[in-house]
Amino acid sequence: MSGPGATPLPEAALLEAPLLEARGLTKRFHGLQAVDRVSFALRSGEILGLIGPNGAGKTTLVGLISGTLAADEGSLVFEGARIDRLPPYARAHLGIGRTFQVMKPFPRLSVLANVAVGALFGYRGGERDQTAAREQARALLDFTGLSRHAEQPASELGGPDCKRLELAKALAMRPKLLLLDEVMAGLNSAEIDEVVTIIKKIRGTGVTILVIEHVMRAIRSLSDRIIVLHHGEKLAEGEPNAILSDPRVIDAYLGKRRA
Amino acid sequence: MLLAQILLNGVLLGGLYGLMALGMALVWGVLNIVNLAHGALVMLGGYCVYFLFAGLGIDPFAALPIAMLAMFAFGYLLQRFVLNLIIRSAALNTLLITFGLDVVLTYLAQLAFTADFRTINPSYAGANVAILGLTVPLLRLAAFVAAVVLAALLWVLLQRTRLGRAIRATAQNLVAARLYGVDPAQLYALTFGLGAALAGAAGGLYGMVSQVTPYIGATLTAKSFVITIIGGLENPFGIVLGGIVIGIIEALASLYIGATFTDAISFGLLVLILVARPARSLRNA
Amino acid sequence: MMWRAIFLGLCVIGLAAVPFFGDDVLVQYGIDALLFATLAQAWNILGGFTGYVSFGNSSFYGLGTYGTAIAMAQLHWPFGIGLGLGAVLAVGCAVLFGIPILRLRGHYFAIATLALSASLSAIIANLDIAGRNIGLILPLTRADAAFYEEALLLLVAATATVAWIARSRFGMGLLAIREDEDAALVMGVNTTRYKIAALSLSAFFTAIAGGIHAYWITFVDPGGAFDLTLNVRMVIMAMFGGPGTVFGPLLGAFVLSAVYDVLASSISTAAALLFGLVIVLAVIFMPRGLLDLASGFRREGARYLLQNIRMHRL
Repeated sequence: MSGPGATPLPEAALLEAPLLEARGLTKRFHGLQAVDRVSFALRSGEILGLIGPNGAGKTTLVGLISGTLAADEGSLVFEGARIDRLPPYARAHLGIGRTFQVMKPFPRLSVLANVAVGALFGYRGGERDQTAAREQARALLDFTGLSRHAEQPASELGGPDCKRLELAKALAMRPKLLLLDEVMAGLNSAEIDEVVTIIKKIRGTGVTILVIEHVMRAIRSLSDRIIVLHHGEKLAEGEPNAILSDPRVIDAYLGKRRA
Repeated sequence: MLLAQILLNGVLLGGLYGLMALGMALVWGVLNIVNLAHGALVMLGGYCVYFLFAGLGIDPFAALPIAMLAMFAFGYLLQRFVLNLIIRSAALNTLLITFGLDVVLTYLAQLAFTADFRTINPSYAGANVAILGLTVPLLRLAAFVAAVVLAALLWVLLQRTRLGRAIRATAQNLVAARLYGVDPAQLYALTFGLGAALAGAAGGLYGMVSQVTPYIGATLTAKSFVITIIGGLENPFGIVLGGIVIGIIEALASLYIGATFTDAISFGLLVLILVARPARSLRNA
Repeated sequence: MMWRAIFLGLCVIGLAAVPFFGDDVLVQYGIDALLFATLAQAWNILGGFTGYVSFGNSSFYGLGTYGTAIAMAQLHWPFGIGLGLGAVLAVGCAVLFGIPILRLRGHYFAIATLALSASLSAIIANLDIAGRNIGLILPLTRADAAFYEEALLLLVAATATVAWIARSRFGMGLLAIREDEDAALVMGVNTTRYKIAALSLSAFFTAIAGGIHAYWITFVDPGGAFDLTLNVRMVIMAMFGGPGTVFGPLLGAFVLSAVYDVLASSISTAAALLFGLVIVLAVIFMPRGLLDLASGFRREGARYLLQNIRMHRL
């Protein structure tokens, strides 16, 4: 079931059911295999790094988990229940939140309102009370350093702030599982360190995180485990140091084509 | 035999419908403008040919190129100086502005030409040709042939000429086309002009098989929608085929259910198609 | 906040007083304007807040018209029940057709709604109980003043609903759908349910307006009930005033109704012509509506007009 190079799970962890389990997930676009029989398990509270060259299928995989895309084959189990037939909003209610690689703010709504939407509709259907939702939103704006932009329309935010907004919106949903899709793209070194700290803090509150990243030092420092995708298939899975020095992984990134 | 006759009439009229929709499909596919004034352009083309025929005695088929040229110029100017101003705003705005233009054109036509019914009646109007035991009205046959010829010419233009390549490139990717030296303002205006010319030709032919009044625009716009959706934005012949399908459906409907239902059927079909092919419809939204 | 409430209250009272002090013509203009304002406001729910531009609200108007007409002319039911029947038909249609049609976006949604209206019109024109193409005649009745107050009440109800939407969680969901439907879905908004709810609310108010209008002019026929130009007029009024706001559609409706009436009373064809011209110019110079124009003008003066062109030209 797991690909070559998989690290066997320690005994203690085997006793606890995984938060998310993917089995044989497959997605095709016009005959092209975007995701090919990918299986993995995510333990509660861990940070799983997802890496691979461009076009490997990482964002597609996140789409399959969040429900934006429907899998052609395979199954997805979250907290013991099958979710692959559920629409995206139902998965949000169960506690799955994501950010988008190509950012999708609500342009004409204020930054505060953007985040409030997450609070109003997230976990278990979200807050019913607008005031409570706005307070939660404000707290998250503080957490992500966006407070001074609260009343501005989201369309006016610059690149890094946009990324922070994506994160804040996803956090407002009070997710159990957070899917982060390249939140560090385009950030400078100091900003990257900031985000790493934030992500670690988020994990500290009990959230399980799947991180897609190209910034290797961030992945190394964040991840408990790493999965590598290449041409839609799971190439390798294991501890960061082992994975990042695995010759096959390096080959994949340097573009040596598989036969 | 009656069925065959009715079907034939449907096909002939359908070819004309297809030509009519071609202009709308071209503008929609390249400029992403759904032109609610399209029917008004058809109407104006009809009046053009009518006055060339009734006023100057020019044979309608000979008048077609002249009318097309006039409509081309009109469309070009309209796009260049009015529509280009709002083209990057929300889709709703192009719908609204073309609606406004439709109103303006319809009522200008009413003022200029009165509400009288006009028919283009060349001397050979009533002639029939017998083919395979069916009576084929010569005029309708000629209109059908003209429609197919113009569709073919459009195809050749799009596929084989530099202008056509530029148009297709712009339809796919405006930014890339610009990098290749396409001047968008000019190209958009040319395309719209082309669409107007086709609409004008359809109007002239329509005036030969039916009547022209200032108000025919709305129904013809609606019919062109239906055909464009059925035929798709890819290929001119798809549109002509779509037109023929509608022609046949209308013919069958008027035979079996009654003429008053034809509109309901066309629109019902439209709703069904839009709903049943969501993947295709969601593109271009 | 309180001053605004008082001001609004005074406006409503002032409007309600019109039949007692104004002449017949004014009252008739008033009924028309009020009904149109309701149509614009109802459209606003789906178009302004949810971002789904419908060119087929005339479907619901027609169903409301015919529901009331059939109830009163054929079944001899009272007006209230007639309105109810119209509303039920319209909301039923909204739910039934909403589910497939709301899957479409942009131009395609607009066209589908237009096609829906045209189909309904054609179908009704063939029904005996609806009087086919000839139409139906409703019982003649009381003075215009009653219709005026009813239209005003309907408008107040519609506006109050929109005001509620603007501040509620439901409204936030609609706005999220408008701004980015995919993101809204992923954040937990049940977009299908919300869109249908918005469409149904829109249908409800539109249908009641149709019913009141039917009883007022005591005559219905397919062409008038499902008049496709109604669609564009209500859209333009909402857009002209300011979509997605609470009072924009009202402003747009009242201003454009006045313009249209003034023009129509002078020269009829030229009126329609000028109306078309107004639309064209409005789309070019003030695409975001009067309210936006007002605030933009205050900020930048005449440059606001040119700015719109600069932003949207090729």
